[in-house]
Amino acid sequence: MIDLSTGAFFERSTRQIGSLRSQAEALQQRIGTGERLERSSDDPVAAARLRMLARQERIGEVDTRNSQLAEANLSLTDQALSSIADIVIRVRELAVQASSTTLSDEQRSAIGVEIGSLRENLVLLSNSRNIVGHALLGGQATGPAYIDNGMGAQFVGTAEVTPLEIGEGQSVEPGLAGPEIFEFTTADGPTDMFTLLGGLAAALTSGGQTAAEAGSAALAGLDTGLEKVTTAQTVVGARLNWVDLMSERREVTAERMAEERADVGGADIAATMTRLQETLTILEASQASFVRLANLSLFSMLR
Amino acid sequence: MSSDLLSIAASGARAARGALDVTAQNIANASSEGYVRRSLRIEEVAASGGAGRIGDISLSGARIAEIRRNADSFLQGEVRRTAGDLDRANTELRGLRNLESALEQSGVFTSIVEFEAALQQLAGDPVDPSRRAAVIGEATTLANKFNITASSFDAVGEGLRFESEAQVSEANIIGGELARVNLRLTRAGVGSSDRAALLDQRDQLLERLSGFTSINTTFAVDGTVAVSLGANPPRSFVQGGSSGRMASATVADGTISFSIDGESVDPGSGSLAGASLGLAELATVRARLDTIAGNLANVVNNAQAAGVTLDGSPGQPIFAGTTAATLRVVMSEGQGLATAPAGAAANSRDDANLSALRQSLVTLDPAQQLSSVLFDVSSKVAGRNVTQSALETIASSARISLEQQSGVDLDTEAANLIRFQQAFQASGRAMQAASDIFDTLLGIGR
Repeated sequence: MIDLSTGAFFERSTRQIGSLRSQAEALQQRIGTGERLERSSDDPVAAARLRMLARQERIGEVDTRNSQLAEANLSLTDQALSSIADIVIRVRELAVQASSTTLSDEQRSAIGVEIGSLRENLVLLSNSRNIVGHALLGGQATGPAYIDNGMGAQFVGTAEVTPLEIGEGQSVEPGLAGPEIFEFTTADGPTDMFTLLGGLAAALTSGGQTAAEAGSAALAGLDTGLEKVTTAQTVVGARLNWVDLMSERREVTAERMAEERADVGGADIAATMTRLQETLTILEASQASFVRLANLSLFSMLR
Repeated sequence: MSSDLLSIAASGARAARGALDVTAQNIANASSEGYVRRSLRIEEVAASGGAGRIGDISLSGARIAEIRRNADSFLQGEVRRTAGDLDRANTELRGLRNLESALEQSGVFTSIVEFEAALQQLAGDPVDPSRRAAVIGEATTLANKFNITASSFDAVGEGLRFESEAQVSEANIIGGELARVNLRLTRAGVGSSDRAALLDQRDQLLERLSGFTSINTTFAVDGTVAVSLGANPPRSFVQGGSSGRMASATVADGTISFSIDGESVDPGSGSLAGASLGLAELATVRARLDTIAGNLANVVNNAQAAGVTLDGSPGQPIFAGTTAATLRVVMSEGQGLATAPAGAAANSRDDANLSALRQSLVTLDPAQQLSSVLFDVSSKVAGRNVTQSALETIASSARISLEQQSGVDLDTEAANLIRFQQAFQASGRAMQAASDIFDTLLGIGR
């Protein structure tokens, strides 16, 4: 025979009702926070995964910012390159014009003056600033990229551009160094656009036979220079594409991570609500039956 | 020998009164802690006929032979054992949970990630003063978070040690009490209510003691108990009227050890065992956290030394200290960050040294290391949670079966009340009959 004892009955009832209550509270907390895990020990594996996801998301934010920076700098470089190309094309027009035998020395001299001022514009362009205020074409230097020395311009930056990480282990060089745009090799050996333009301007203004021949002589050099500039434009365009591609990839990754985060750590509201309702129903039933059972004593029958 | 109807009836009434008293006592103590239901054994008083008196009626009624205490010593032993296991699991789990909270809520993991993010952000423009300042700011937060975690660990250890010391002194008090109960038990009469009360007290003390350590009990016939505590090997604690002295000592790494009368003992189960397990876990986790903090400081400082700062001078250390508690930032200005490689000009945007630093951080991966410490702790908590709830079920079912066996059931007592009341009334009727008979005899010859 199993003895019943009043103490055992009350102890069992307290335990049952208490455990139901704590279950209901845990479910309520899940609904309130929208998170399935209150602390890591609720599901250590999922919590570790969530931590790593949060870390990736944080790093991804910085990647996005760096990538925006790279994109801005590359766009600025692209604009500068267009302006440089415009100048070189204008100079070529002027050189063709100057090579005409019908022009007088004065007219050639005027063209020389215009080319001289175009050279100055070119130097100014070469020193344009990037989005955070450093020399756009200066490589790793913080100051100006070129110093004008009258005839030409001297490169004072570094030839390398620091690559910038844009996520998933990929990086991009957010710009070009001056020599990649302005330095090229002609039949007479290596030269740069500033020297070419300076020499042309000087030759045109000097008059006489030199001036008459200078225009046509410079054409080959100008073509090579222009080619260098357009090549640089292609490079920048390709890099911009790369940045775009990586941005898209990052977005996809972020979406996937958000999805995974919801899968791993999010509370399924519908399921949780149903579970809560179930627990509450059982709790109410237990409480009601407890009250009825507790009233059931032989003493209440003895009158 | 003859029988006396009046005295037989009177003895019956007395026995029924005693039974009613015991029933009332049971009802009164229905919810008393540690009270074991008493029952009465009533036996017949009768003389056997001697030589030449065969066929005599020699009946003398009934008497209370024994007040029985309905305790099952096996069930009591089970309750002690399972409660000890549960207390061990509870204390260890509580320690581990606190450890987990200290590690998780201090946000040291997040601050490592933020530090990494700040370094990566600096790569976007290594000469930007605000990005440099952000790195120093995050480094300071990181060091603070390590400090906070270390001091929370201290608090967890402190709590566990304080609790165990209090429990050791309580165990000593219980030992003394048990010795006193033993002495009084040797003097109490067999089957008396006094003895039953002392046995209740003894069992209650044993149960409280088993909440601290594992206990071995040997019961003598007179109800006295010899107790030895702990395991590997158990040490004698209470023997007859004398009890031993338990003591605890803290080791340098914060773990705790116990001894009885100077001989070391392993608590085996109970909350003292739980505390010593929790403290051992704390020491391990703490050492791992210290290693992470030390390595992190080392890697960052080494990378600093390999590069040059914004003004072209050699890089100085960012962190000082080698443990989680002592880690601090010693660099105040962001321009001291050595982002450029050695030999670079002042104000160089070359971030080769910053890349080297980030690369070595990736290799060391302090965030992953910390995450795996957190994972280990939290999976231990999750595992212990399962163990604890299993032990809780076992302990509570052991307790409920003991209560069912030894506890008071009010319905039974109500039935007993009626039964003994009727017995009392019946004995009264018998006395009435004796009186009537006496009157009849007196009336003869009137």
